[in-house]
Amino acid sequence: MNRSRSLWITLLLVWSLLPMIWQLITSFTSSDALVSTGIPFEHRWTLAHYRDLLSGDPPFWRYLLNSTVVGGLTTVLTLLLAVPAAYGLARMSPTRRSTIRITVGAAALFPYVLLFLALLELAREFQLGNSLLAIALPYAGLALPLALLLLISAFEGLPNDLDDAARLEGLGLLDRLRLVLMPLITPAIASTGILIFLFAWNEYPIALTWLSRDDLLTLPVAMARIAGSSIYAVPYGAYAAATVLGSLPLLALVLLCQRQIVAGLTNGAVKG
Amino acid sequence: MLKLSALGKRFGTRWILRDLNLEVQTGECVALLGPSGCGKSTALRLIAGLEQPDEGNIELEGRPLLGIPAERRRIGMVFQSYALFPHLSVRDNLDLGLKVRGMAPADRRERIDAVLNTIQLVNEADRRPQQLSGGQRQRVALGRALLRNPSVYLLDEPMSNLDAQLRDELRPELRRLILQGPQPVLYVTHDQQEAMALANRIAVLRNGRIEQIGTPQELYFKPETEFVAGFVGRPQINWLNQTRDTRVGIRPEHLHPDDNGCRCRVIGREWLGASQLLLLESNAGQLQMLCSADYQPTEHLGVSWSPEDEHHFDPISGQRLNPS
Repeated sequence: MNRSRSLWITLLLVWSLLPMIWQLITSFTSSDALVSTGIPFEHRWTLAHYRDLLSGDPPFWRYLLNSTVVGGLTTVLTLLLAVPAAYGLARMSPTRRSTIRITVGAAALFPYVLLFLALLELAREFQLGNSLLAIALPYAGLALPLALLLLISAFEGLPNDLDDAARLEGLGLLDRLRLVLMPLITPAIASTGILIFLFAWNEYPIALTWLSRDDLLTLPVAMARIAGSSIYAVPYGAYAAATVLGSLPLLALVLLCQRQIVAGLTNGAVKG
Repeated sequence: MLKLSALGKRFGTRWILRDLNLEVQTGECVALLGPSGCGKSTALRLIAGLEQPDEGNIELEGRPLLGIPAERRRIGMVFQSYALFPHLSVRDNLDLGLKVRGMAPADRRERIDAVLNTIQLVNEADRRPQQLSGGQRQRVALGRALLRNPSVYLLDEPMSNLDAQLRDELRPELRRLILQGPQPVLYVTHDQQEAMALANRIAVLRNGRIEQIGTPQELYFKPETEFVAGFVGRPQINWLNQTRDTRVGIRPEHLHPDDNGCRCRVIGREWLGASQLLLLESNAGQLQMLCSADYQPTEHLGVSWSPEDEHHFDPISGQRLNPS
C-alpha cells in the first residue's frame, strides 16, 4: 500500500516536473550543444544564456521588476475592492446573494480576450498606455469576479454571531474587518491574492497592446520577443533561461505562503 | 429600566414579532419563553440594535435606543453559540472591546484580571477558545458581557449548548455574576424550567405575540391561555375529554389515587426516583399522574382531583374561563 502510493507520487512528480527540469537543463546548455551532437562535455555547459539576458538592454531583471510591480499592485487593488465587497455581499439576504453570485460567476467566465480591443480604445482615450500603474486597472477589473466568488464563500463560512458580537463590543465596520473577520479568513485571502498575482504575472494580450516601451514590458511580452527575435533561429537557450528566471519569484511566493494556500484550498471541506 | 412598547418586526409580509409591550425593571430578570420560531431571539436582536424594528419603540433608562447604532448601545449580550473570537486567547477576547474603546493598557489589565478572577479562568487566560470546555467558554462569554459594564443584559439561550449537569452548575454562577447586579436582564429560553428557576417574571411568547406575562407562580397556577397551560409545567398538563364547551386541564401532580374516583387502567409508567409518572387510560382520555405509590402496568385504580385545581379555557379563543 505505502509502496505503491510512493510509486504513484514519484510518477506524478516526474510527470509534472519533467518539463521544468528539461527547461532548467536547456537553460544551462550551450547553443551549439542544443542543436548538434558530439560536442565535448566541457563545452556543453554554459552560463551564457543568463549572462546575455541580464546584460541585455534593458536587462532582464527589469521585466521581472515590471511584472512584480504590476502583479503586486493588481493584487493589492483587487483585494482592497473585493474584501469589503465580499463582506457586504455575504451578509445580504440569500436570494439576492445568489443572484449576484450568478452574475459575478458569469463575468468570471467571460473570455476576456474579447475585451482587449475595447480596452485598447479606452487606454488610448484616457492616455493609459505605457504605464505600469494604469495597466493594473484592467487587471484588477478582470481579477475581481473570481476574487469576489472566493471571498464571499470565505465570509459565508464565518458565523454571523461573531460579527454581531464584535459589533456589540463596540467595533465599527473597519475594526471588525481588520481585527476579527480578516484574521479568520487569512488563508482564503492569501490564496485569493496568489491567484490574482498569478493572473497578472501571466497576462499577455492586454500587456502586449497597452505597453510598447522596451523598459516597461512585462515578462510574458518580453519572453515572446525573445522567442520571436529572429526568423532564422529559435533561441532555445535564452528562452529557457528566461522561463527559469520568470518562474523563480512565483516559486518563492508559493513556498512562502504554502501553508495558507493549502488551508485556503481545503477551506470549507474541513470545518476548523 | 428597559421598556419595549408596541415593538414589531416583519420579514417580508410575515410578522415575526408583533405588539410586544414589556418593561424590565432595574435589577429584574425577565425570561422570554417560547417554542423555537416564536420571535424571542428577534426581540433581543432588536434591543441590541442588530436588527431594526418595523414599528414600536425601545427605551433604556428613559432614553430612546432606536437610532443608536449597535456598537454604541452598551449592551451585554451572551449568544447561544458564545461567539468567542476563535483567533484570540481568552485574555484578548476580553481585551478587544476595551482596547477599541481606547482604555489605557494598565487599566485594561487590571479590569481583565478582576473579571478572570470572577469567572475563575485565571489559569486559562492564554488559551484559545477551542482549548476550553463548553462551560468555560460560556464563562468567557459571560465575562465579556460583564466587562462591558452594560446598562442591560441580553442572554440568548446561554445554556442550551451545555449538558444538563453543566447547566445545573452554571445556574448559580449566572445568578452570582449577572442576575444579582442592578441591570435589567432579558433572558431568552425555550426551557421552561430554566425560566422558572432564574427569572422574576416570565413572558410567554407564541407566534410573535405575548400570551402572558407573570411570575413563575402566576403562570403555573393561573395560566391565562390554553397555550400557556400546556407550555408551562412538566410533565405536561392533562387535557380532559371535552364534555361541555370548555377545555379542562388538570396537572399530573394534582391527581391522586382515590377508590371512589374516575376509573383508570395503567398503560405505562416512568420511574422518576422519588415518584413515578403513570400513564393512565380512562373515560376522560389519557391521563398522566405523578404519584409515589407503586402501581404496575395493566393495574386498575381510581383517580380524583379537587375542582379548584382544574384549569378551564374557552376552546375557541383559548382564554381562561376560571373565576379568579
